[in-house]
Amino acid sequence: MTDNASLAPALEARGLTKHFTFRHGLLSRRGRVHAVDDVSLVLAAGTVTAIVGESGSGKSVLARMLARIVMPSAGELYLMGEKVVLGQKGRRQYASEVQLVLQDPFASMNPVHRVRHSLVRPLRIHHTAGPDLEESVKDLLRRVALSPPERFIDKYPHELSGGQLQRVSFARALAVHPHVLLADEPVSMLDVSIRLGVLNLIGDLRDKERLAILYITHDIASARYLADSICVMYAGEIIERAAASTLTDSPAHPYTELLLSAAPDPARGQPTPLPTRGAPPRLVAPPPGCRFHPRCPYVMEICKTTPPPPVTVDAGHEASCWLRLPAGERRPEASSQASLPMVRGGPGLHARKEVASRNEP
Amino acid sequence: MTGVWDDDVVEAADVRASSAPAGITETQDGPGMPAALETVPETAPETALETVPEPVPGGPALAVSSRGRDKGAVVTPSERPGEALLPAPSEDDAVFEICDLSIDYGLGPGALHAVRHADLMLRRGRVLGLAGESGSGKSTLVYGATRLLRQPGVVSGGSVRLYSRRRGEEGRVVDLLAASERELRRIRWSEISVVLQSALNALNPVSTIESEFDDVLKAHRREMSRKTRRERAAELLTMVGINADRLRDHPHELSGGQRQRVMIALALALEPQVVIMDEPTTALDVVTQREIIEELIGLRDRLGFAMLFITHDLSLLIELADEIAVMYAGRIVERAGASTLYRSPRHPYTHGLLNSFPPMHGETRRMTGIPGSPPDLAAVPAGCAFRPRCLYAMERCGTEAPALVPLDGEEHEAACFLHSGDVAVPGELAR
Repeated sequence: MTDNASLAPALEARGLTKHFTFRHGLLSRRGRVHAVDDVSLVLAAGTVTAIVGESGSGKSVLARMLARIVMPSAGELYLMGEKVVLGQKGRRQYASEVQLVLQDPFASMNPVHRVRHSLVRPLRIHHTAGPDLEESVKDLLRRVALSPPERFIDKYPHELSGGQLQRVSFARALAVHPHVLLADEPVSMLDVSIRLGVLNLIGDLRDKERLAILYITHDIASARYLADSICVMYAGEIIERAAASTLTDSPAHPYTELLLSAAPDPARGQPTPLPTRGAPPRLVAPPPGCRFHPRCPYVMEICKTTPPPPVTVDAGHEASCWLRLPAGERRPEASSQASLPMVRGGPGLHARKEVASRNEP
Repeated sequence: MTGVWDDDVVEAADVRASSAPAGITETQDGPGMPAALETVPETAPETALETVPEPVPGGPALAVSSRGRDKGAVVTPSERPGEALLPAPSEDDAVFEICDLSIDYGLGPGALHAVRHADLMLRRGRVLGLAGESGSGKSTLVYGATRLLRQPGVVSGGSVRLYSRRRGEEGRVVDLLAASERELRRIRWSEISVVLQSALNALNPVSTIESEFDDVLKAHRREMSRKTRRERAAELLTMVGINADRLRDHPHELSGGQRQRVMIALALALEPQVVIMDEPTTALDVVTQREIIEELIGLRDRLGFAMLFITHDLSLLIELADEIAVMYAGRIVERAGASTLYRSPRHPYTHGLLNSFPPMHGETRRMTGIPGSPPDLAAVPAGCAFRPRCLYAMERCGTEAPALVPLDGEEHEAACFLHSGDVAVPGELAR
């Protein structure tokens, strides 16, 4: 590790892109699915970064690229400030730093082996066990609040509940002493009443073990609860990122606004009608310009031709939307480093909200 | 797979076997039916036989050309011998009523009690939400009540009644658990239809959307010509926001949301009075889910059907339903109007469940949810099933199971000894 390792983020992705190629039809025409396009992301130690998006937005492919299960088509990874050489070499070393926890704990555990087996294997492979192997396994179980560990260590996966088994998945990931934990929808398969327990466990791992955690979810409310910052993905791109409560309280991208109005929220009384209809685009041929423009209620001419640059709306709040640039700056050549103050009261979301509230009786 | 999940799998299998929306299940012979027939109290149809005007103020696009053949083909329970009298339905507007329904899986002492003594009443044109975690028995309850339950499910007690009212027909009461196969065939889909969670499993992958509609209409509206059937299918599809030219598509050509819309259109094809939605939006994205919910409410307003909406997502139900019943380990533990339930839950489980959904506004504070995990139905704790997870458990909770009793009026019921008057109610359950 170099000197700057302590200052550098635990894991950084620059311009990660994944295009899946396929053949179809009689003539075997080639096609490309733009699963993830030019995503840059920083995961710092002791923080939870959430990725929120609908299915098909590319969030799981992103996680798999970060875990080096899927080979990126383009882009770079930096682990502790050092560039990662992508390829088969060094993957085990990488896995001892970056671990992935999957959505379905029942599918990610071998059903014919006991919990002990699932936990001993990473300890052996990565030589991370202490002098007493049994004690190391028990210690892992205690770290994920499965105590007393004796009650769980000899169970088969089917003997545990979903929440308990997901905790075992986390224990397995922790076995290698990683710095980065990637959690892909870790609670969406679990019962409502036990989800919070697992979310709190993730929060504790951040606070007590200073892990850099990526939390992937489609549930924006849980992202707000758990994460320090939220990135919203749409059609393979990150379209907005901000501190968690900033993003949910004052969204700057029309798609984020759509997501928020669609999320169940008993506190608001009457649900607000959705601002727009439609479905995410097919990623084989994403629309030109802004990928959200076919659904966007505020679509302008420029949106149909030129992808918007990320605009700094506020400190730490970025949104890729032409509306966030003053009218004069909305030129195709607007650089990707555009950083202009937020256009409040412009023809954007806030203006529309005012109109909407006036119309209410 | 979790316990919950297992349960879902069983249910999904049930449903697939009995063919998509509660329709063509003539051959299905509920294994528990003989038992059910013996234990079910008989209805007294006389009390409800007044002719009532159609409650739907002109469902616009949906007038079926004729329903002639079906008319008079109904066998009301009164025509069968040996009927005992039952009190009239307490509410004029009840359309579907479940009384004291118990459902087991298996027979004898080893039977698993999936639903115990459940009471539910669905009012005409209203939305009743049934919330619960996986394995709480919410789907079993509904399948038992509609006689879609398959082996080893057994209805071990209770009654289910449909108070049918249609324009140009006499109002009548049907005892669903005692109904003959012929009656069931007549009721299913026409009066009660079901929308299932997995549209992909419920739609036939090798037939077109049009033939799905065609099948239903051919089976239940024999007087319709091929042309009218096609027109009707197009009309239904348009009604749920899908272009009629998609009729020739196969299920795999539609998106998840569109498939679920097709399911809804199919369920509404015969203008049922009761539509049962079993987690219809669980597999969908939030935006699609919201679109479908908005559409369902619009359709409900136009067509006037009553909806029983099953989901694990209590926060969604609070926005959608008029009334909510919460199930835990096979029992209904609380029932109230949606906003009442949200503002002042009375059962510790409901309170915990509401606190399991992180809020979208305000300060982010640490929440705890509910400790422990839902019980295994094969080993439900004695007394109150929620006791091991309950913060307020008392000695009494370990021995007796609390019954659902009315609190502050009839609109709010909870099954918890905290409200028996013997102890001081904790502040958060007394708001």
